Amino acid sequence: MKNKKQVVPQRKVSFGVYMKRYWQLYALLALPLLYLLVFKYVPMVYIQIAFKKYSIVESVWKMPLAANHGFEYFIKAFKSKDFLLALRNTVTLNLLDLVVGFPAPIIFALILNELCFKRFKKVIQTIAYMPHFLSWVIIYSLALQLFAPHEGLVNMVIEGLGGESIPFLNDAAHWIATYIGVGVWQNFGWGSIVYLAAIAGINPELYEAASVDGAGRFRKMWHITLPGIKPTIVVLLIMNLGNILGSGFDRPFAFQNNLVMKVADVISTYVYRTGIKGLQFSLTTAVGLFQSVVGVFFLLMANWLSRRLGERGIW
Amino acid sequence: MKKKLLSILLAGTMVLSMAACGNSNDAPSSAANAGTTSKESSSQAASSDEGQASTSELTDGKFAETRHITVEVYDRGNDGGSDPTNNMYTEYIKKGMLEEHNVEVEFVKVPRWTEVEEINNLLAAGTAPDICVTYSYPTIKTYADMGGVLDLSSYVEDYKNDLPNLWSWLGETNMYWDKDPVDGTLWAIEGKLATTNRINTFVRQDWLDKLNMKAPTTKAEFEAMLVAFKDNADLLLGADADKMVPYSVSYDVGWRAATLIESFIDPDITDKEYYVNGFDDRKLTQNGTKEAVRLLNKWYNAGLMWDNFALYGSGDTTEDDNMKAGYVGAFTHNWDYPFRNGTDSINANLQRNVGADAKFVAIDPFEDSKGTHTKYVSSTAGDRKIFFPTTNDEPLACLLYLDWISQPEHIEYLQIGDEGVTHNKLESGAIQTVAATGDAIQNSGMNIDYTITCNGLNLSTKELTDLSKAYSYAEIDPELVQQANKIAQTDIVPAKNVNVGSIDAETGVGDTLSAKRDQVYDNAVIAKEADFDKVWDELIADYLSAGGQAIIDERTAKWDQYFPGTDMLP
Repeated sequence: MKNKKQVVPQRKVSFGVYMKRYWQLYALLALPLLYLLVFKYVPMVYIQIAFKKYSIVESVWKMPLAANHGFEYFIKAFKSKDFLLALRNTVTLNLLDLVVGFPAPIIFALILNELCFKRFKKVIQTIAYMPHFLSWVIIYSLALQLFAPHEGLVNMVIEGLGGESIPFLNDAAHWIATYIGVGVWQNFGWGSIVYLAAIAGINPELYEAASVDGAGRFRKMWHITLPGIKPTIVVLLIMNLGNILGSGFDRPFAFQNNLVMKVADVISTYVYRTGIKGLQFSLTTAVGLFQSVVGVFFLLMANWLSRRLGERGIW
Repeated sequence: MKKKLLSILLAGTMVLSMAACGNSNDAPSSAANAGTTSKESSSQAASSDEGQASTSELTDGKFAETRHITVEVYDRGNDGGSDPTNNMYTEYIKKGMLEEHNVEVEFVKVPRWTEVEEINNLLAAGTAPDICVTYSYPTIKTYADMGGVLDLSSYVEDYKNDLPNLWSWLGETNMYWDKDPVDGTLWAIEGKLATTNRINTFVRQDWLDKLNMKAPTTKAEFEAMLVAFKDNADLLLGADADKMVPYSVSYDVGWRAATLIESFIDPDITDKEYYVNGFDDRKLTQNGTKEAVRLLNKWYNAGLMWDNFALYGSGDTTEDDNMKAGYVGAFTHNWDYPFRNGTDSINANLQRNVGADAKFVAIDPFEDSKGTHTKYVSSTAGDRKIFFPTTNDEPLACLLYLDWISQPEHIEYLQIGDEGVTHNKLESGAIQTVAATGDAIQNSGMNIDYTITCNGLNLSTKELTDLSKAYSYAEIDPELVQQANKIAQTDIVPAKNVNVGSIDAETGVGDTLSAKRDQVYDNAVIAKEADFDKVWDELIADYLSAGGQAIIDERTAKWDQYFPGTDMLP
């Protein structure tokens, strides 16, 4: 009874009283909200450029509608070989990134977790984080020093040992491998943080009980650690899937060169080249919008799927 | 409660975002209005003064009230350069403009190597400088089609009497080069190229001497020379023999092998053919280019070229560093490339790094089918273009600025600076540039970034100019310059103005196509010799389908419309 009485008036608390009590929390929230508003929502007004004939001087509301009920630029994009190529490359590279790059931090976290010498673990962890803080431009310069044909360190060693120089950066297939490999290298340490945190949250009694039952390391990993971090894995997988058509700009841009553009041109660099440099703002806004819509679709799909499979999803 | 609060927050968010949209909606349109009103008022002013010597806005060439204009200046980011917006030369211009015209000048720096992107952003934001400069006319045309550029046709006419220097310096040719033959609009005026020299091929004279070879005068001799360099790498470079690059190009093959490519074009090419295939300024679609690249491909596969040229992008210094370190035997580039930048020039570096006799000299090795060494050079126009964005509400003040920097004395001062600081007078009367320090450092050769209506040395008389040109490169032997100058002017064919109005197919594709052009060149050069035809044909087909063919077709149609029945310009 007493409990109930306490709850009821709380529910009836007026907005003013509520705000008076919790205003500090909302004040804290205000700045991030303002950031989202100004930098994420307000620019969305300009999405309409995708449906309009862009003019550099007119306000976005006054630009005339593009042909074909405003869909001129979407049609143009899908007729353009370059866009389709960029689309293909984006999906291919991101899928490869997902297949190779997604399990890497999980495996790394599992391995780290098995290390019993704490200081060694910390050192390894720190070393693995470091590449995350390098900009892609710097990473590319490193890659160039290492992998350039004949002049790169790796190739000099290979040639010195009597082998043939490997075209890591100037042949399409090799380039993809280098691109993905370097991507994994940059990210696996950083990506493992979340998993390590999740692993730390697993009840140690489970491991003790398993030991008593005679489970070995791999058994424990398989039956306790992995199920323990499954929700985390699923959430991250969903977020990654939402990004299947998105791609950072600096990584592909830094790694591209004229010899591998066939496989290296992705949507973000296509948009930069055609839109910002080539002044076709409407066309590239259309491409960007398409990219976002597909991204949202993938996100929703993955979320729905994970809920169907009994996981929590991200909302 | 939580839901209610959330909805309030969301509602607030929406209101705010609407307000923000409203604002962003208003801003550009008011700017555009300001543009049109000032245009109207100034054209009114101009028309009311018809028949008078000058406009009422000016008394003795001066505004009654101080006007403020902004001017684009390239920021080249040179090591140890001066601040491009504030140095000895900007002060000189600012002072002169304020005294003579009561106009306050403010310089806006734009990074040289990303200028097009930067200007795009500034224009889209409505904050572009009042006077903009770029090398790319298609870019200006694209802005103009979006309504972002002032039509200068009436201004240059109406204010003709106020602009004597501008008119006499640029002349009808450069003023009206871009005038539309149909509607008479003029989106840009062309700065004048004082030197039409374009490109030269350079070779290491000391290597030739060591191998007892003469400077090559044909392609065959040139190839033999490259082979000799490669075969004698141990002699020429010693321990660094494996770093030898007999012939160096960059990713921009079309420019960096231009003398070679142009030597494959039929010297009797008609104006029509040259124009129709002439959209790409690297001659990609001209007949003959394929064979030129086939030769490069052969050299590449024979190990006579730099392996990694395609991996380094625009502005990268790796190739220059190779030249400076002395690994490069020959290369093709701007006609005075190894002489530029004073103590940091390629030749000066070579002397420090390799030895006193190490130097690049200009040669003329690529003969065409007639045995001459045809070089396609610019006309006095076709170089830098000056345009005013619609946000410019001081067109007269800006034209006066152009007039001021076109005055011969001003050009001369900006180019050579003060005696004893940036130049010395020699006995012969020649002006010799000396490496300056601090505020007096010229960030661009002869300050071309400030003399936007004049590109290249231009002193009071032509004799003095020619004499001084050779002395204008600090730390460089004047004879080398004279030789390069002479070769650059051998068998030249100046560009002609085929003015058939705008070609719609060219709008907005310039950058896409030049990116593709570089891909064609790069991939063709590194292809296996057996695959060359396949690679070239495939990539060219891609280039043409991405817009190249549409341009060729439209250019053909426009030519036939304006010059029916003839293949040559009148």
